[in-house]
Amino acid sequence: MKVLVALKRVADPDNANKVKVSAAGDAIDTTGLEWKTNPFDEYALEAALRLTENGKTPKKREGEVVVVTLGPKESETMLRAALATGADRAIRIEATDAELDGRLVAWALKAVVAAEKPDLILLGKQAVDGDSNQVGQRLAELLDFPMATFAATLHEEPGALLVGREVDGGVLTLRVTLPAVVTVDLRIVAPTSVFSKLTAMEAGFKHGDGVRFAPLPAIMAAKKKPLDVKPLAELVGGAVLATKYVKFERPAQRAGGAKVKDVAELVEKLASVSKVI
Amino acid sequence: MVDKKTVSFMRSLCMGQIEEDVILPFPTIPSAEKETLRGVVRSLEQLLDPHAADFRHWDRAGEFPLEFVEELKAFGLFSLVIPEEHGGLGFGSSAYSRALQEVAKYDASVAVTVGAHSSIGMRGVLLFGTDEQKARYMPKLATGELVAAFCLTEPGAGSDAASIKTSAVKDGDDWILSGNKLWITNGGIADFFTVFAKTDEVDGRGKLSAFLVTRDMGGVSSGPHEDKMGLRASSTTTVHFDNVRVPRQNLLGEVGKGFKVAMTILNSGRTGLGGGSVGGMKKLIALSAKQAKDRVQFGKPISDFGLIKQKVGQMVVDCYASEAVVSMVAGLNDAGYEDYAVEAAISKVFASEALGRTADEALQIAGGNGYMCEYPYERVVRDSRINRIFEGTNDILRLFIALNAMNDAGQTLRELSKSLEGVFTDPIKGFGVVSEYTLRRVSMATGYNRHGTTFTKLDPSLKLVAGIFEGGTRDLATASDRILRKHGRAIIDKQFATRRLADIMIDLFVLASVISRVDSAIVERGAEQTKKEHEIVTVFARQAERRIKANMDEIDNNVDESIKSLADHSFELEKFGWDTL
Ligand SMILES: Cc1cc2nc3c(=O)[nH]c(=O)nc-3n(C[C@H](O)[C@H](O)[C@H](O)COP(=O)(O)OP(=O)(O)OC[C@H]3O[C@@H](n4cnc5c(N)ncnc54)[C@H](O)[C@@H]3O)c2cc1C
Repeated sequence: MKVLVALKRVADPDNANKVKVSAAGDAIDTTGLEWKTNPFDEYALEAALRLTENGKTPKKREGEVVVVTLGPKESETMLRAALATGADRAIRIEATDAELDGRLVAWALKAVVAAEKPDLILLGKQAVDGDSNQVGQRLAELLDFPMATFAATLHEEPGALLVGREVDGGVLTLRVTLPAVVTVDLRIVAPTSVFSKLTAMEAGFKHGDGVRFAPLPAIMAAKKKPLDVKPLAELVGGAVLATKYVKFERPAQRAGGAKVKDVAELVEKLASVSKVI
Repeated sequence: MVDKKTVSFMRSLCMGQIEEDVILPFPTIPSAEKETLRGVVRSLEQLLDPHAADFRHWDRAGEFPLEFVEELKAFGLFSLVIPEEHGGLGFGSSAYSRALQEVAKYDASVAVTVGAHSSIGMRGVLLFGTDEQKARYMPKLATGELVAAFCLTEPGAGSDAASIKTSAVKDGDDWILSGNKLWITNGGIADFFTVFAKTDEVDGRGKLSAFLVTRDMGGVSSGPHEDKMGLRASSTTTVHFDNVRVPRQNLLGEVGKGFKVAMTILNSGRTGLGGGSVGGMKKLIALSAKQAKDRVQFGKPISDFGLIKQKVGQMVVDCYASEAVVSMVAGLNDAGYEDYAVEAAISKVFASEALGRTADEALQIAGGNGYMCEYPYERVVRDSRINRIFEGTNDILRLFIALNAMNDAGQTLRELSKSLEGVFTDPIKGFGVVSEYTLRRVSMATGYNRHGTTFTKLDPSLKLVAGIFEGGTRDLATASDRILRKHGRAIIDKQFATRRLADIMIDLFVLASVISRVDSAIVERGAEQTKKEHEIVTVFARQAERRIKANMDEIDNNVDESIKSLADHSFELEKFGWDTL
C-alpha cells in the first residue's frame, strides 16, 4: 500500500502560553515559538507506518509512505523527523501560514495526490493551532474519494479499509474502498488500533503504545532520503486565499476565585458577584 | 591570523596578550549537526522521559537492568562521536557536549554511562587509532555491541596516574598485560577497554603505553558493582587483567607515549562532562523556579522573597557562564586549536563547581522537601558530587592550570635574560625581544592601550565588562610575575599561591567566554533582545572582579602560614586539639 500523509507544523501546544498576538491583533507573533508536528498528524504518520509493515519487523516497509507539508524551509525539520521515524520520501510545498487556508491546502494536496497516486491519504483530524478541521473533508470532496473522519481503528482488507469511528455511545464501523481519504483521532495509536494485512496474520500482536520515535542511526539515514520542494502556485493554479483572519484575541484573564465560609455566603455571592441567581 | 597549532588564549593571556580572534565570534554548532541534534533531542525525550520513575527506582536499586542498557544501544546512544563512515553521528565536540547536556537532564547515570564510552572509553581510537583499528572497532562501538571503558586509575595510582603498576611486557609480537584497575565506569558492561600500562622500567618510574583490550582476549574480568554515593545505577567496578595476551596491532599510539595519550583523551573529552553539568543545572533551575512559585509561606509564594531570588538569579548566571565556557572549549576543539588543555581544565573546574553550588541551593530552596528522597534534589546533589573528583580532581586541575601559565612566564623571564646576554652579539634580535617585553610591561602597568592588550571588536555596550577583563589581565600578569619572583622554581610546592593564580585564570577565561557569548548574541539579535544577557555578563564580571581583587590582595597579605601550621598540628595529633569539657 502507498500512503500519503499530510503534516502541519504548529506552535508547540505545551508551550501555548508563549503564543503572542501581534500589537495590531491581526496575526500570531511567531518569533521565539517552538514548533512541533501537529500531534494528530503524528498519529496519522504512525498509522501509515503500521499499515505498511508487519508489526513484528517494523524496520521493513511493505509499500511506501510519503509525507507532505505546506510550509517554509524551517518546516523541513519536521519532514526529516518523519523520514527518521520511517517515512520513505518527503515533499514540501513552499508557503507560509499566512498564504494558506484550509481550502488552498486541500487544492494543493489534490495536485500532490494526482501526481503521487497513493492508495490512501491519511491526515490528522484537525490541526491544534487553528482547529479548522477542514482539510481532509475538502480534499475528499475535491478528489471525489470515499472519506472517513476521526478514525480510531484501521484494519486493512483487500482493496479496502475497515474504519472504526468512536461516536457517542458506541463505535461506528465503515468500509471504505481505496483510494480513500481518512482523518485520524487520538485512539489510532493504541496498541491494537491498526492492522495491516501482514500484521493481522500475527495473532495476538500488539504495537507499542503511542507514536514510535527515531533511533539515532535512523536520524542519520533520514538525511539521505529524498525531499522535494514545489512552489505553491504550481499546484493550486489560480486559486487564491478565500479566508482571512480578521482578529486574534487572548482569552480574557480569569478573575481569581474566592473561598466562602458557608452556604449562606455562597448564595449571597452567587447573587451579588456572579449574578447567576 | 592566529596559529591554531600553537596559540592558546590563556597562555597568551598570562603573557598580557588578549588574542580576541581566538574567542570571537562565539562558537556555534555547525548547522548540519544542529539539524541532527534537533532530531536527537526529540528522540531522547521520547526515549528517556517515560523512564522518569524508573530512574529513581534504579538509583535506589543501584543498577540499571540489562534490558535498559540494551535499549540505549538499540537507540544508538553510543554512536554520538563515531564518524559517519563508521556508522555514527559524527558529532564534533560542540554537538556532543550539547547532546550530553540533554541526556543529563533526564538522568546523570545514563549521562555518565554514555560519557565514559564516548568522552574517554573509545576516544583514544578516535584520536590515535590507526585506520585499521578504527575500521575494526568503530562500527561495533557505534552500535554498542562493544561498550567502552577507560582504565587508568589503580588502587595506588589516582591523581598520580604516572605511578600505575599495571604492566605490559613484550612477548614475541604480543604484549602480556597484567594489573588491576579501580573504579572503572562501565567496568561491568564494557567489552572494550582503553588500558594504560607500564611498558618500560629504564628510569625507575617507567613509561606508560596505551592498549586496546577486548574482553574476548581472555584474562579480563570485572569485580562487583560498587555501592556508591551517586550515579548509583551506572556501572563502576574494578577491572582485572590477568596475563592478557594483547596483539601488537592493539597498541594505541606509540610505545612510551601513554601518558600523553591519556591526557589528550581526557582533554578532548572534557566538554562531555561540562555538557552534563550544564544539563544538570538547567534541569535544577526549572525545578527550582516551579518549586519557589508553588510553595507558599507567610502568605506569599517564596519566589517573592529576596533570598530566594538571590539563589535563583545566581543559578542563572552560573549556568549561563558554564554553558559559555564549555561551548567555548568545544568550539576551540572543533575549530582545530591544538593547545587548549588549560582552557579545557578551566571549563571542567568551573562547570562542575557551578553545578555543585546550583544543586546545593536548589535543595535549600525546596527546604525539608529537598531532603526527602521523594523529591529529585537529594539525588542530584549525590549524583553531581563526583564531577569535582573524576577526570582529574579539581585540585589537581587547578595546579595544572596555574603551573602551565607560570611555566610560560618563567620561560619568558629566562629568555629575556638570555637575550640580554645576546644584545651585544645580535643587537637587533636582542633589542626586539627586550622592547616587546618592556613595552608590554609598561602597557600593563599603565593600562595604556597597546595592540593586543585590549578588546577591539566588542560591541560598545560591553565597554564596562571589557574594562574589567582587561584590568584582570593586568592583575594576572602582575600576579604571576610577583609569585614567580617570590618563589622561583620552588613554586611547584607553593600550592596556596598557585591556587590563587588558578582562580584568577578561571575567572578570566570564564569571563572572556561570557563576554564573547553575549557579544555574539548582541550581533545576532540586537541590544533590545539581549538585555537579560547583558545583565548576566555585568553580574558575572563584577563578581569576578571582586574575587580577582581578593586573590591579588592575598598574594602578599595572607594567613597561609598559620593555616598550614594548624593543618600540620592536626596531622600530628590526628584529631582536633581543643574541647570545652
Ligand atoms: C564514580 C567514579 C568513577 C570513576 N571512573 C573512572 C574511570 O572510568 N576510569 C578511570 O581511570 N578512573 C575512574 N575513576 C577514578 C577517578 O578518576 C579518581 O578517583 C581520581 O582521579 C582521583 O584519584 P583518587 O581517588 O585516587 O584520589 P587521590 O589521588 O588519592 O587524591 C585524594 C585527594 O588528594 C588531592 N591530591 C592528590 N594529589 C595532590 C597534589 N599533588 N597536590 C594537592 N592535592 C592533591 C586530590 O585532589 C584529592 O582531593 C572514577 C572514580 C569514581 C569515584
